Amino acid sequence: MVVGEIAEERDVVVIGGGPGGYQAAIRAAQLGKKVTLIEKESIGGICLSTGCIPSKLFAEAGKKRDSLQSLSRLGIEVNEAKFDLTVLQKTKQKIIEQLQKGIGKLIKENKIELIKGSAYFLSSDRIGVEHGHNFTIYRYTSAIIAAGCTKVSSRENSDQRLLDYESIFAIQEIPEHLAVIGDDYLALETASTFQQLGSKVSLIWLKGDFPFDVSINKEVKRIFKKRKISIYFDQKVKEVHANKKIEIVMEDESGETSTLTASHMVKAALRKPNSSALGVDRLGMKTEYNGHIVVDHACQTSINGIYAVGDITEGPPLAVKAVKQGKVAAEGIAGVSSEYDDTFMPVIVHTNPPISSVGLTQAEAEKTYENIKTATFPMSALGISAVTGRKEGFVTVLKEEGSDLLLGIHMIGEGAVELSTSSVLALEMAGRTEDLTFGFYSHPSVNEGLLEAIEALADKAIHLAPRK
Amino acid sequence: MEIKLHDIGEGMTQAELNHYFVKPGDKVNADDPLVEVQTDKMTAEIPSPASGIVKELIIEPGSTIPVGTTIMLLDSPHSTNQKQLNTRSMDQASVNPSEENRVETHKKNTDQKRILASPYTRKIARDHQILIQTIKGSGPAGRITDADVYSVIENEKSEINQASQPIEENTQKLKNTLPYTGIRKQIGKKVAQTLFTVPHCTHFEEIDVTEILQLKDQVKREGQSISATIFFIKALSICLKEFPVFNSSLDEQNGQILLHNQIHMGLAVNTSDGLLVPVLKNVPEKSFRTLQTEMKDLHQKAENRTLSMAELKGSTFTISNAGPLGGSTGATPILNAPESALMAFHKIKKRPMVNENDEIVIRSMMNISMTYDHRIIDGGSAIAFTNHFAELIEQPLSMMVEL
Repeated sequence: MVVGEIAEERDVVVIGGGPGGYQAAIRAAQLGKKVTLIEKESIGGICLSTGCIPSKLFAEAGKKRDSLQSLSRLGIEVNEAKFDLTVLQKTKQKIIEQLQKGIGKLIKENKIELIKGSAYFLSSDRIGVEHGHNFTIYRYTSAIIAAGCTKVSSRENSDQRLLDYESIFAIQEIPEHLAVIGDDYLALETASTFQQLGSKVSLIWLKGDFPFDVSINKEVKRIFKKRKISIYFDQKVKEVHANKKIEIVMEDESGETSTLTASHMVKAALRKPNSSALGVDRLGMKTEYNGHIVVDHACQTSINGIYAVGDITEGPPLAVKAVKQGKVAAEGIAGVSSEYDDTFMPVIVHTNPPISSVGLTQAEAEKTYENIKTATFPMSALGISAVTGRKEGFVTVLKEEGSDLLLGIHMIGEGAVELSTSSVLALEMAGRTEDLTFGFYSHPSVNEGLLEAIEALADKAIHLAPRK
Repeated sequence: MEIKLHDIGEGMTQAELNHYFVKPGDKVNADDPLVEVQTDKMTAEIPSPASGIVKELIIEPGSTIPVGTTIMLLDSPHSTNQKQLNTRSMDQASVNPSEENRVETHKKNTDQKRILASPYTRKIARDHQILIQTIKGSGPAGRITDADVYSVIENEKSEINQASQPIEENTQKLKNTLPYTGIRKQIGKKVAQTLFTVPHCTHFEEIDVTEILQLKDQVKREGQSISATIFFIKALSICLKEFPVFNSSLDEQNGQILLHNQIHMGLAVNTSDGLLVPVLKNVPEKSFRTLQTEMKDLHQKAENRTLSMAELKGSTFTISNAGPLGGSTGATPILNAPESALMAFHKIKKRPMVNENDEIVIRSMMNISMTYDHRIIDGGSAIAFTNHFAELIEQPLSMMVEL
């Protein structure tokens, strides 16, 4: 390859076509910028090809399969349901291709130049793109780094039974007994999904408790227990032996070891931000010691004109974060004063029933506010739950006494994901109790769960026995 | 652990970072000073909330930052150190696959009360480069409204306009403008608030200070220098013990008058930027000499603007010594709220006076003006107070007996 001095001139260069990158590119184009998007693999990133979309498809399949049992109460008889994983895998492939095509079309329609290749920073205003034998240098005005993370490869990957939270959605057979190891939403989701797809599931939780409000933690445990998912809390995994079966040796708090035997195991892969591969070190860009790029509230890095968004920056590796950051960065480049603030970023878990959590949990609120009040309203008390037969879960809300300011809205139950936007909106608008109880809530619907929980803060929930 | 610029009181919303006492890698104990900040009024040290190791200094010295800004990072054993787990190599992980955290520590802001403003309002502030944290909300429950943001924008604009107004225009108006900001604005706000909310009145008295001046000279001949003010302060401390309501604050909300156990004397000090009131603490417990040294020190610091927060807080009674400034014979000072009384000393003059034997003698006379909160103090008590004060000053021996 020849590194010439001739550089092609570009305006805004976006590195990486995942959810953060492509949305940044489109937003910048909407604001009148000429945009070049560099992607080395396929548009849509991990989210689309191995992350969010495949996992949610599996969750949907699990949920539907589970719901078959409850059809008979509606008079619908289903004889012996069959589940063909190969069809699900084909559907997954089709969805991915269809969504990729959609994004590709949008890129074209927004007149965004798409370049295939791996990018490497040469200086703070020049980037090289390598594609096969070609190496082209571009000089840009602004750049958005959305290059994400890469799995650090592992010897384990050669054994088809040792999976991570991406490869598990590419499997060809449903595990007979799946051991799920983790400490975040992915572990909960995967445990829930595969239990419903027919696996026996054991969850090895690496921490003391689940990460939600205490009320939700309790409900998840109850539901998992009912579904015969065994949970091992506060464990350290000492050894994994991939023999005829997968043997997992774990050690609890007190130092006692036990062995769990399973047919398959899933755990998080170690992922490394792609910052050094991009050569940001040579620019003197500020990174965390583990390589995550440090950005400010406008998503700008320590180098003027270079922005970074998504998994390559600090914070949770979630598409919801990347998407927001991508827009903020693009708007910053176009001179709009946007800000990224994750105070009310919802935590969503597609378990069955799903969880959504926004704002402070009780434990967090107690640290900051002197006088808080919480109320919980069970979904089972709603008319809609009687109709659908989905009675699990509840809504827990927190407010500051005196000011009536809402501090957190946490829910588990059918509809929790859809309702999460109401929670986010209420908290972003600095909503107080009356702001939420004033309006109308369609009947019958799960929306009423939120209404009654907030009414319960003032002991005014209709479908709740008076406090004794 | 993030170390933030906390509310520094006195209505100040921002401060300048002077210098750090530590550098990254330093070990610190709880309460060790980490950084010094300065406002228009004073300097303050921010102590370490816990023991730990200094991780990173974020703000450059010399920068002006709003309250709530993270100044530096501290690694404290009390804060969970999840991220270290991420650094495990994969080899280790394959033996011990338990501990990689796929989700890195989410730096969710949970330890600070949030800004009560809708996203739309927040954007208006951002669009005008206004830090919304510095705006006080006037809306329900302290919400920041669009109008609050716009009024800050208007204020800033008019300040800029004032500063950049062409000279011709100024001469046309025959008026110059001075900035009404910082310490000047703080004083303005406080006196206006007190004047409008506390019904207070002032009474005058004339005191013969001849004996005190003689005593002072005598002490000087012994090689000690104690100013007349110290004698006045000591005499006041005796009076305040006898009339505790003059050393009190009214708590109207709870329907009680708080009588203070300690006597901390606020000293009104005139500086080139305006009035400052450093506090001479625990007057009755200290010797004349200690008080003299401490008062001098406070005056010096006030002039150099190096007073600490602690030195500006906690006064229970205030004196204003107008004497050294020249020839006033009386004044109607505004209370230093929430204190209930304040005394001003005016210029000492030699005057012909009539003594007990109806003879005209030359005596050193000083006028005092005493302002008091009329809600809790009546004129009669005020006269009794100044009478007692006059007695102690006119007959220093009686003061010495009481000390």
